[in-house]
Order: sequence, then C-alpha cells, then structure tokens
Amino acid sequence: MTTKLHNSNPSSCGSGSAEETLRMVANLPAPSGLEDRIHASLRSAPRPARVLAWPARLKPESNWMRSAAAAAIVFVVAGGGWGVYTRVEQSRPGKVIAMPLHAAPGGFSGAGAVRTPTTIPGPAAPRATQMKDEKKPAAKAADRAADKAADKAATKGGVSSQIAGQK
Amino acid sequence: MGTSQVIYAGWMEIPNSAVEEHSRRRTEDVALAALVEQYAAALYRVAYSVLRNPADAEDAVQETFLRVVRHRDSLTEVRDHRVWLIRIVWNIVLDRKRRAKTRPETDDVAELARVLPSTGLSALDRAAAAQHHAHVLACVEKLPAKEREVLMLSAFEELTSVEIAEVLGITESSVRSRLFRARNLIAGLLDHARNSQ
Repeated sequence: MTTKLHNSNPSSCGSGSAEETLRMVANLPAPSGLEDRIHASLRSAPRPARVLAWPARLKPESNWMRSAAAAAIVFVVAGGGWGVYTRVEQSRPGKVIAMPLHAAPGGFSGAGAVRTPTTIPGPAAPRATQMKDEKKPAAKAADRAADKAADKAATKGGVSSQIAGQK
Repeated sequence: MGTSQVIYAGWMEIPNSAVEEHSRRRTEDVALAALVEQYAAALYRVAYSVLRNPADAEDAVQETFLRVVRHRDSLTEVRDHRVWLIRIVWNIVLDRKRRAKTRPETDDVAELARVLPSTGLSALDRAAAAQHHAHVLACVEKLPAKEREVLMLSAFEELTSVEIAEVLGITESSVRSRLFRARNLIAGLLDHARNSQ
C-alpha cells in the first residue's frame, strides 16, 4: 500500500497548520545554479586510480593464490600455537573428587558418598629429642668438675711416670 | 591492443581492461550527471527542511553526490535512485544537525518572511504569517525525534509511506503510527501555546 500521507485529513486544526507550514518549507525552490556547483565539486573530487592491476598469475582471485594464502594462515596459526605450547608450563591436573557413578533410579542421589576434605596440616611442633641432649646446669657443673679431676690425675700420673722413666 | 600484449609497471601490470575501465567511467559520469540534474533540487529541499540553512543544505547535497561517487560501483545495483539518494542526504543532514546543534536559520522571523512565498500578501500579513510559521516550526522541533522525522518527511508530496519507511529503515505500519502520534502531539502543543497566549 503506497498511499500518500499528506492527503490524509489532519486530526485537528493545529496539526493541519503544522503540516501546511512543513509542506511550505518542503516546497521551497532550490537556489539557481545548484546543479552547476555540484558538477564542479564532483569534477574536483579525487577519484580512485584503477590503471594498475595485479598480474594475472598473481591475481588474488586465482585458486593457487588462495591455497597459498590459506596454507600460510594455517602455518602461522599452528606455529603460534606450538610456540605457546612449548613455552608455557603445563598446569597440574586439578584434584578431582570421584563421585559414585550409579544414581538411584528415579532421581539423583549421593549414594551415601561422603566427601571428606583433606585437612590442613597443623603447625609443626619442635621435636622433644632436642631436649634430650641438653642437660641440667647442675649436672653440667658436676661433669665439668669430674673432667677437671680426671685431667689433674692424668697430668700427675704422666709427670710421675716421666720422672720414673728418667730415673 | 591485443590480449597478449601486457604492459608491466614493476610488479603490477596495466591490463587491457584499463581501456574498458576508462569507457565505463565515462558512462558512470554521464549517469551521475543525470542523477544530479534529476534529483539535486529534491535533495536540497529535503536537506533544507531539516537544516533550514541554504548554505548547509547545499553542502549536504554536495556531500551526498560525493558519497555516490565513492560508491559508484554499486550504482547499478540500486533499485530506486530517488529513495536511495534521499536516504543518503537524510542521514547526512541528521548527522550534521546532531553535531552542529546550531539554531535553524528560520527561527528568525525576518529570514522566514524572506524565504517563504508571499504572493498577494501585504507586508503586515507577511510578517504575521512568518511569525506563525516560525511558531509552528518551533513546536515541531519540540516533538520527539522519531515522530518529528516522519512528520517532516510526510510533508514531501513525492514521498509515499512506503518510501518514507525505506528512507527511515522502518516498516510502513511504524510510519503510520508515528505519524498519528506526531499529529496528535503537534496539535496538543499548538493548542497549549494558543491557550497560554
């Protein structure tokens, strides 16, 4: 349906006067010499050069050229992917919690499976064996006194034996 | 020039089709000149109805044909050149109006009195008519964009509802509903202005 909208009756006097004004503006004559000025601007407009063209063997629409371009794209994509694969360290496989395969008939069920999360290791306490080697200060003093006495006895014994030897 | 003779310029070649291209371009130039002669005035009126400034409207028409030159390859695929050109100029003027946000020249009552036809009217009547038209155009400017566009395009007697729909890129039923709303809105605006006076 290609009816002319301007022929329809306006809904009110206001709308009619508005359309009359718009129609008056729309029917204003174009300024004289408009076409000539447009022709002049079109003549001065830059135009795309189409003198040079690709040689027939290298024309982009030739089949072998398309194949070569496709192969080059595949090579670049595959090479890039391989380069990324070799450089990036492979991530560790995530922890998977195995769930029971068989579900109860007529719906989902956990089949009694209980997920037991791995507990966090607690703080490491110092081993008691280190305390074993350490002795009490009183015992240390007794040990030192015993060592000194033994040294003295040894030195006395050594001197008397030397004297006896000389004799 | 025989088909075997090919002139090379570096990697590129000057093909035999360059001669055909030249003749094709001449044909396109003739077609373009015909389009200018046939539709320049109509495009100017469309541009002027939106911009309401003679210089801006002429610039918009020139830009329209420059775009046609840029897309001259698709000129043969165009079904209706008139609607196609009006659509181009319509988009250009809307874009310009959006960017410029300048006051239309016809807001000035004296300029309207100069531009609008005034056959058989006295100077006083002409001034009153110009004032009335200026007031109406100011009310049109207050309409929402969608309704205003349809109302303005409907003022062109050569455009049918289907063509307006093609220009705006909407359906014909949308054109009709928007036009109905626009008429009601503009009537309300004018009545309100009349009552307030």
